[in-house]
Amino acid sequence: MGSACFWFLNFYHFVLPLAISINDWNLLCRISVTFVDKDGDETVINVPIGMSMLEAAHENDIELEGACEGSLACSTCHVIVTDVDYYNKLEDPEDEENDMLDLAFGLTETSRLGCQVIASPELDGIRLALPAATRNFAVDGHVPKPH
Amino acid sequence: EEEDDSITIKGVRISGRPLYLDMQATTPVDPRVLDAMLPFYLSRYGNPHSRTHLYGWESDAAVEEARARVARLIGADPREIFFTSGATECNNIAVKGVMHFYRDRRRHVITTQTEHKCVLDSCRYLQQEGFEVTYLPVRPDGLIDVAQLADAIRPDTGLVSVMAVNNEIGVVQPLEEIGRICREKGVPFHTDAAQALGKIPIDVNQMGIGLMSLSAHKIYGPKGVGALYLRRRPRIRVEPQMSGGGQERGIRSGTVPTPIVVGFGAACEIAAKEMDYDERRVSALQQRLLDGIRSKVDDVVINGSMEHRYAGNLNLSFAYVEGESLLMGLKEVAVSSGSACTSASLEPSYVLRALGVDEDMAHTSIRFGIGRFTTEEEVDRATELTVHQVLKLREMSPLYEMAKAGIDIKSIQWSQH
Repeated sequence: MGSACFWFLNFYHFVLPLAISINDWNLLCRISVTFVDKDGDETVINVPIGMSMLEAAHENDIELEGACEGSLACSTCHVIVTDVDYYNKLEDPEDEENDMLDLAFGLTETSRLGCQVIASPELDGIRLALPAATRNFAVDGHVPKPH
Repeated sequence: EEEDDSITIKGVRISGRPLYLDMQATTPVDPRVLDAMLPFYLSRYGNPHSRTHLYGWESDAAVEEARARVARLIGADPREIFFTSGATECNNIAVKGVMHFYRDRRRHVITTQTEHKCVLDSCRYLQQEGFEVTYLPVRPDGLIDVAQLADAIRPDTGLVSVMAVNNEIGVVQPLEEIGRICREKGVPFHTDAAQALGKIPIDVNQMGIGLMSLSAHKIYGPKGVGALYLRRRPRIRVEPQMSGGGQERGIRSGTVPTPIVVGFGAACEIAAKEMDYDERRVSALQQRLLDGIRSKVDDVVINGSMEHRYAGNLNLSFAYVEGESLLMGLKEVAVSSGSACTSASLEPSYVLRALGVDEDMAHTSIRFGIGRFTTEEEVDRATELTVHQVLKLREMSPLYEMAKAGIDIKSIQWSQH
């Protein structure tokens, strides 16, 4: 992925003598995503186009459990899209995703499963809030380690 | 010692068990339903959520089969059916659950003045929390004005709740029209179909219904179980009223009671097969009752529309007769005055008041409920007893004398002592 980016960017740099801002370069490959945890602390990360939010969270050590590893069999990667405009840009959830969302703790109107939200250019700047808890009854505060 | 077959209860002696003509309050369990339920009490008693052994698996299979039967009766997908403890719980989940889930953007509920108490009480509870509720009036025939409903819908309306068949007067609301309007305006349509299930044909897709409350003990099933229909496409979400282990897809936690759920499924299957036959039989019996009474007694008023009515519910008011004394004279017939739920309070029926019925006529109303097991002899005997009692009371009634003499009762100035 890295080297393809390099050649892609080089091509554009030499063939198109347009002034492309750094921001536009980033959008060609990566978008900016802000995770807000239950205490309000924010973490901004860069997510490559095509990666799911769950994978991105794991790569950046954000506390988002994905018990079924993205196979639509649990609701532990539940995230809340804080801005309804960004929520509307996402594709409608499939019935299977909705079925799993039904079981999520703290469900809202703009909830999605993190493993089904795939980074794309129009989602740049999206803010995802992590819910206060998951379906697991870890009232003692236990956090399972990612696989 | 004399042989005595009579029953004495609450200081009253009656010669035997009364004839049961109160089918809107509850219905007897169909023997076929009881047959379906018994194995799940005696031998197949597993918890349907036990995933590790046969008892759990067979119990779960039975619950899913019952779910499919309920779904078939209303034209829904089995995944849209959630078992609860009855229609009251369903109405609570529907009204409070929907509004709580969408509380940020939706602050308004529309319902009617003739709804069941659990819907009205849930709406009042929401009002305490700061939501706004519009209680639509009904016309004198008991039906709502659909244009008025369309006008009442606002951008922040989160739910429209109109019951399908009224439990007190038996009128059938225009569900298809209401569903069409709600679909056009993007508002979820909830209907309390406890009295309608298995009696009038219901199709949730044709009628644009988003949520529906169902009850087992109104269709010859066991008491203590009901089901909530929740549309999947577009998905309607509710905040659960019962927190727990997430049974019934998180909508209603708690062990699903297999025997009574199986009974509900069996009752729905029987109702699907016998709906037309029952409807014809019950209509004929209703006509027989009405003709029998009207041929001997005049000044009988039917409360609610005759055209848009479920035949098994006949609510009659007898002018110039006092309701309590009429009921006391009908000890051999089990009927209801107003609704069973109102009998606990001294308030006259709010449903009849919404129809514009005067208080004196509301107090004298009797609800006859005819069902699958009502016989012609029962109807004839009930007619006979009612006519006898009404005529007796009218003979004693000074108001009746005055009315017959041509005096307008409403013009009388009653002096206070």
